[in-house]
Amino acid sequence: MPKEILLVEDSSGDVRLTQEAFRDANRLIHLHVAADGVEAMAFLRREGVHIDAPRPDLVLLDLNLPKMDGREVLAQIKQDDDLKTIPTLILTTSEAEADIVKSYRLQANCYLNKPVRFDAFESLVKSINDFWLTRVKLPPKAPSG
Amino acid sequence: MNSVRPSPTVVIRDLSRPDAAEKHLAQMESKYHGLLEAAPDAMVVVNQGGDIVLLNLQAEKQFGYRRDELLGQKVTNIIPEGFAERLIADDLRSAEDALAQQIGTGIELIGRRKDGGEFPIELMLSPLESAEGILVTAAIRDISARKTDEKHLAQMESKYRGLLEAAPDAMVVVNQSGEIVLLNLQAEKQFGYRRDELLGQKVKNIIPEGFAERLLADRLRSADDALAQQIGTGIELTGRRKDSSEFPIELMLSPLESAEGILVTAAIRDISVRKAAEANLLQKVKELYRSNEELEQFAYFASHDLQEPLRMVASYTQLLARRYKGKLDADADEFIAFAVDGASHMQQLIQDLLAYSRVGSKGMNLLDISSEGALQQALVNLRGAIEESGALVTHDPLPIVLADEMQLIQLFQNLVANAIKYQKSGIPLVHVSAAKNVEKKWQFSVRDNGLGIDPQYFERIFGLFQRLHKREEFAGTGIGLAICKKIVERHGGRISVESQAGHGSTFRFTLAASKGKS
Repeated sequence: MPKEILLVEDSSGDVRLTQEAFRDANRLIHLHVAADGVEAMAFLRREGVHIDAPRPDLVLLDLNLPKMDGREVLAQIKQDDDLKTIPTLILTTSEAEADIVKSYRLQANCYLNKPVRFDAFESLVKSINDFWLTRVKLPPKAPSG
Repeated sequence: MNSVRPSPTVVIRDLSRPDAAEKHLAQMESKYHGLLEAAPDAMVVVNQGGDIVLLNLQAEKQFGYRRDELLGQKVTNIIPEGFAERLIADDLRSAEDALAQQIGTGIELIGRRKDGGEFPIELMLSPLESAEGILVTAAIRDISARKTDEKHLAQMESKYRGLLEAAPDAMVVVNQSGEIVLLNLQAEKQFGYRRDELLGQKVKNIIPEGFAERLLADRLRSADDALAQQIGTGIELTGRRKDSSEFPIELMLSPLESAEGILVTAAIRDISVRKAAEANLLQKVKELYRSNEELEQFAYFASHDLQEPLRMVASYTQLLARRYKGKLDADADEFIAFAVDGASHMQQLIQDLLAYSRVGSKGMNLLDISSEGALQQALVNLRGAIEESGALVTHDPLPIVLADEMQLIQLFQNLVANAIKYQKSGIPLVHVSAAKNVEKKWQFSVRDNGLGIDPQYFERIFGLFQRLHKREEFAGTGIGLAICKKIVERHGGRISVESQAGHGSTFRFTLAASKGKS
């Protein structure tokens, strides 16, 4: 059964890199992309054009986003009874301690830095696939919509 | 003329009525004799004709005559000027008037001895009624000693005044009650008062605080002690001008002995200019500090923000190389290889530059830490390079030092990494040790058996972006040792290298010892 991933990322370069990295790691992945926080929440709540959106198995969330930033998205996910069980991973270039602390306080499942080199990024994506999409046992999906 | 007569004979010569006069004077003598002889001053009684009619032993002594040599003689013999004239009536006034004008006032004149020697005297006149009219008793005091003193004092004062006026600072002499007794021109100028507006006034008027208090005795100390504590030290206070404006001053106090007790001379320097210069300097230092901080912030943010687009370039050229190597032509492969290499070198540069600016922008967390622990952590971080090169890194027992732990780890890491990297073939041997130097600081040494460094480059290698090798020989950005230097200097230490090309290098740096025992 294919895995559904929501990537919240405004940089198309990063989006493509992530797609390429996941393509090499696991062919059975549907990578959905939201370019800002507002769109991400609409996707998760199946609002508007996202009425038929699947419930993701994993959210990859950048912190610095237009309209609604990643911290707010994270807060909303973790305050939502229906959404809070979805593993939400912060994937960002920020190494600021304040961002790390705040993300965990908001119940991020983990905090990851985007590696500078592509081979390192590939291996990170591979780790995510091996751990979050393969080994981790998640609660059964709530009956969708 | 030393003959002392217990009962001096008074010889009277009154040309008009010798007998009556003699009788009268005899009475008088018995009346005044005791008084006369007991007087500490020379006493001479003179009639209105200016003749001496009576004198005492002191008068004999003072003028060097025997009594009989003076009696009946003109008083001008012993007081040539200024006395006889005063007794004599002239056209304008009667004899009584002439005398009355002189009574009770001290008149300074010159006395002349038998030997012709002269000396300053002070006369006090008093009238003595007698049958022949009014006689005059003159008490004559030799004031040589006083005159000498006065002259000396006057000289001293004029010297002192000269000194006072010549001084470049305002000078104010104050008594123990805090009143101004003397001041110079500079003081007038500096405080904007005329001299007469300040003399006798409280010094508090011009120095509101901190000066008068220093002169006063309190329960804990005497006036002398109070003053002694302040002598010679520059005291910074505030002066107040007549127009109430204030300015910073520096006081130097010195004691001045006087008849009225100890006075205090205060040299008062207007230090507005110095203060302004100090404030200006402080401001400049602050500005420099801020601009330096801004520069470091700039370096940090610039390198951080450059990292993002560079990540794209590097990642996609890598991806390109991965996907299309061997699928295009040989030129394409080579071009892509250069692009990948350039991008990854730039990434390393930016990473190192970030590390360099972090050393400056991050606050220091100075604690007593184990330098041995820091070295061990550095070796853990370098595990890959150590295993790859087969390097043998050893160390002596290392001390507790006062340092920022993260920075000390980085320092060891950079130095050991260099020691391993710049090697000829063979096993890199690195040894770390520490010893107390003469300044009681710890001097660390990181010694290797590597390539060594030509002495002409000893300074240069610690500069930013300075490299001694081509990148093809040894990869690097030329930032590592600049980071080391910055770390050591931020800790108040020094870093240096000792080496001979081909014989290994020893890098030395100093760190403060632990505050406690080490």
